[in-house]
Amino acid sequence: MKLRETTIGRSLFRSPDRETERDQAAGHWSNFLLHLYPVKVRRRELHFSFSWYLGVTSVVLLGSLVVSGVYLMFFYVPSPSSAYGDIQTIQTQVAFGQFIRNVHRWSAHLMVLAVAAHMARVFYRGAYKSPREFNWVIGVMLLVLTLLLSFTGYLLPWDQLAYWAVTVGTSMADFVPIIGGGARDVLLGSDQVGAATLLRFYVLHVALLPLLMVGLLMVHLWRWRKDAMLDQTDGGGEA
Amino acid sequence: MSDLDPRVVQGRRVLGVVPGQPPGGDRKVPDEQDLVMVSPHLLVRHAVVALTVLLLVLIVAVLFDAPLREVANPFETPNPEKAPWYFAALQELLSHFHPMVAGVLVPGAIVGGLIALPYIDRSRALQPRLRKVAVATFTTFLVVWVVLTLIGFAFRGPNWGWVWPWNEWHGEL
Repeated sequence: MKLRETTIGRSLFRSPDRETERDQAAGHWSNFLLHLYPVKVRRRELHFSFSWYLGVTSVVLLGSLVVSGVYLMFFYVPSPSSAYGDIQTIQTQVAFGQFIRNVHRWSAHLMVLAVAAHMARVFYRGAYKSPREFNWVIGVMLLVLTLLLSFTGYLLPWDQLAYWAVTVGTSMADFVPIIGGGARDVLLGSDQVGAATLLRFYVLHVALLPLLMVGLLMVHLWRWRKDAMLDQTDGGGEA
Repeated sequence: MSDLDPRVVQGRRVLGVVPGQPPGGDRKVPDEQDLVMVSPHLLVRHAVVALTVLLLVLIVAVLFDAPLREVANPFETPNPEKAPWYFAALQELLSHFHPMVAGVLVPGAIVGGLIALPYIDRSRALQPRLRKVAVATFTTFLVVWVVLTLIGFAFRGPNWGWVWPWNEWHGEL
């Protein structure tokens, strides 16, 4: 007897017997996780060469970053007096600390690559064309958010690499027209990278930017799902 | 009639066998525009991709430790002073142009141009040969960007001078 035919299974899945394709679709619709997906896609979307699976790769890396990032948060205090020592403690005394930090670091670099490559693949496929223009725009925002998340995280170890990379990266904020120095003050919390910067970057990195990222990602995936059935031939869709 | 009756196949009674081919040919030729069920066809592929990506991350994380230099010191500027690799192209531009251009106008134009792209390119063609201008423009920018990133990341040393990465390595991840 299958699990979903038992009383408990029925209460969990609430789907009818999956004999016909229509039943399968109903089961798909009533599943919380599967509701991120369309019920059907065009056959060509299954081929590796269509997408190189770079979108799903980016999502998987985001998942890896959330899990490893939450673990690191347990052992890290964003203050210049403790941050560096916390990283050393994570690497030497925390269970799997060095490994989890490595996972977080390499997943972050890979995600920047994956998201950028995803954008290029979508461009060459022409998948930004009407009526998907706005999902491309959301994708560009997600790319910018990915870079910002990576950049804010770069400062947190508070070593020479982090400190000076962020000093270089933010030095250009001075040249933003009109607001100029103001933009830099808001970003750094002072006139140079210091305790206020570390706290700001930390809050951006673990709260604000991830929330924006997940929110926009939901819209991105929702639009992808809605558009999955569109005709994808030259001049297809509505003329 | 029992289940062993040769005229019963998979619980159904065979009324007759017609020689020859079915009218639509032996097998339906799958069309690329056909709709297929996401579960299982796309889901199994995504599962394989997810496991592959996680395996790759696991292997890299076991083999290579994330870098950690000395504690931050505002009074000791390293030479070269490098931005993260994904900003290396901007930093390379910064060494050639005024910061207003390299730090504000160029990144602003890139993000603005990417956002505007689907509203500028209104053609409905999907094949590369029918959209030469769009493909050529995008490819040019992509190649320039990749080259600038590589230069800034691996080919720049002390005082942002040119180095060969196989002689001196200054790339930081």
